[in-house]
Amino acid sequence: MMDKLLQLENVWKIYKMGEVEVPALRGVSVEISKGDFVVIVGASGSGKSTMMNLIGCLDIPTKGNIFLKNRDITKMSESDLATLRGRTIGFIFQQYNLIPSISAFDNVMLPLEFLEYDDREAIVKARKILNEVGLGDKLHNLPTQLSGGQQQRVSIARSMVTNPEIILADEPTGNLDSVTGKSIMEMFRQLWKTGGKTIIMVTHDLKLAQFAHTTIELADGQIIKMKKN
Amino acid sequence: MKFIKCLKHAFEMVLHSKLRSWLTILGIVIGVASVTAIMSLGGSFQQNVNQQLGSLGGDILTLTAGYSRGFSMFGPPGEREGGGGGTTATKTQPTLTRLDAQALRGIPDIAAFDTEIRGNVKVTYLGKSGTVSLTGVDPEVWSRVTTSKISAGRMLDAADQNVIVIGGRLAATYFDKPVGINQMITIEKNVFRVVGVLDDQSNTIYMPIQMAFQVLTTKENGVYDSIVIKIKDESKLNETMTKIENRLLLLRHVIASKKDFSIISNKQIQQTRSQMMSSMNTFLVALAAVSLIVGAVGIANTMFTSVMEKTKEIGIMKAIGARNKDILSIFLLNAALIGLVGGLLGVVFGIILSALLPILMGDISMLRGGTFVSVNSIILSLSVSIIIGILAGVIPALQASKLKPVDALRYE
Repeated sequence: MMDKLLQLENVWKIYKMGEVEVPALRGVSVEISKGDFVVIVGASGSGKSTMMNLIGCLDIPTKGNIFLKNRDITKMSESDLATLRGRTIGFIFQQYNLIPSISAFDNVMLPLEFLEYDDREAIVKARKILNEVGLGDKLHNLPTQLSGGQQQRVSIARSMVTNPEIILADEPTGNLDSVTGKSIMEMFRQLWKTGGKTIIMVTHDLKLAQFAHTTIELADGQIIKMKKN
Repeated sequence: MKFIKCLKHAFEMVLHSKLRSWLTILGIVIGVASVTAIMSLGGSFQQNVNQQLGSLGGDILTLTAGYSRGFSMFGPPGEREGGGGGTTATKTQPTLTRLDAQALRGIPDIAAFDTEIRGNVKVTYLGKSGTVSLTGVDPEVWSRVTTSKISAGRMLDAADQNVIVIGGRLAATYFDKPVGINQMITIEKNVFRVVGVLDDQSNTIYMPIQMAFQVLTTKENGVYDSIVIKIKDESKLNETMTKIENRLLLLRHVIASKKDFSIISNKQIQQTRSQMMSSMNTFLVALAAVSLIVGAVGIANTMFTSVMEKTKEIGIMKAIGARNKDILSIFLLNAALIGLVGGLLGVVFGIILSALLPILMGDISMLRGGTFVSVNSIILSLSVSIIIGILAGVIPALQASKLKPVDALRYE
């Protein structure tokens, strides 16, 4: 029996478009256990990204509760949420979302700086993780001097450097060719299998579900199917 | 995030938007440089005025005919008018005469007094001519009453006739060649021998008053433009002034409300000139400060643009653990850095400008001692520029820090 890491309880997210209310999530309830590899799939507009934003504590629900490590994030301050995100969740985005004006190494250093790590320890960690993702020779390259796959590896390194329990990936292979995408997915499988991380991935690509342990399918803001592989 | 790291990221922001940052910095540079230069100019004026007036002596009073409620910063009324007691004087134009001088003799608190007349004369020396100011003084007492110092030769004395003492600038640079002791100068067709050169920067010629009456033909013998009085005890300045005033009121048959003479002390001149100089400084600094405000608006504008441009980065930073206060600190420090760099460069340019001002403004007597930039004005300029930077950056930085991560990440 795996420990409960994340729990969504009747979560609603309603966006106001002028006078009109558009529900993006409608009463979603789900539990995600520690060490699980979850893929959230669904068509465009199904509510995947909204669900990821809520799981990642980037947004708060209109109704319902979200418990991360037994703490209700809807009752936490913005500052506490930021620290919780920094310590517990590593984000990987489809667009890589690296800071373009600083080097790969400095991008990986950023989360450690926000968590006020000691400089020497931070430098060692950042170097080590960049070596592990195969970018030991590209430390001082700017993101624009790296290929898409390399940028995504920097992004993975940045998400991993604080040793978070959850890796939250939003379409991580969406901008990559199939070969590079496959190598990135292999990295996730490694992180899950040997690193013991909880991986939550949002994608519209049903083929990626084969890598996951749990698949959640969304449609019109509701979970329509949930299966364990 | 630690302060030093916030500073590092703020610095990187300045470096990565070079043109915009430098244009904003330029706005602050112009403001700070103008304020620094004007403060230095004002300080130099003030110092010069204080030095000039400090050397006037606190025990000297100047008596002139006519009365005005105030007097200008350029001298007492008698000096301004260039002599009001000449032959053109009518009954309605009050004058100072021998009678007034005799009345002063009876006041025991007076150590000495010098009767003076003034006018402009044509002078010629080695073929070069010009018009300068001539002051006729009582040769017997002038050396005791005047605060001028001699740099070569001697002062006038009681037995002197066709001799003159000239101002330092007249001697050194007015003519093609410097005028030395015992050289002859033609004044209005009369020839005079130079017996002394003053240690000052004036073009004035001093000669015995009886000779001056002959040279300044418009002046009536026995009518003076002013009487310079040296009192015995500086601590009894006000008391002595009152005594003189009462004596003259009696002599001239006037009541206090219809007083037809003015008596002022150097102290009063000093205070009035200082006050006027101070007001002028404040006005000039206020004018220069307007450009600083424009600079501040520039910073605010740059910061708003920066926040908009970096919205997505702010979202990324928040996603990976940045707290509101980290973002606030980075943007505030960015604004403060723009202010600081602008302030530092502004002070440097201000110092250069203040050194160039005496040259740019021509030969102004009050700037002869040169301008100086005080440490206080440097500290003030730097503090003001940093504070302006921070104040201008507060609203954009708050805006940046309060961005919701999910909205910021979506921003394109």
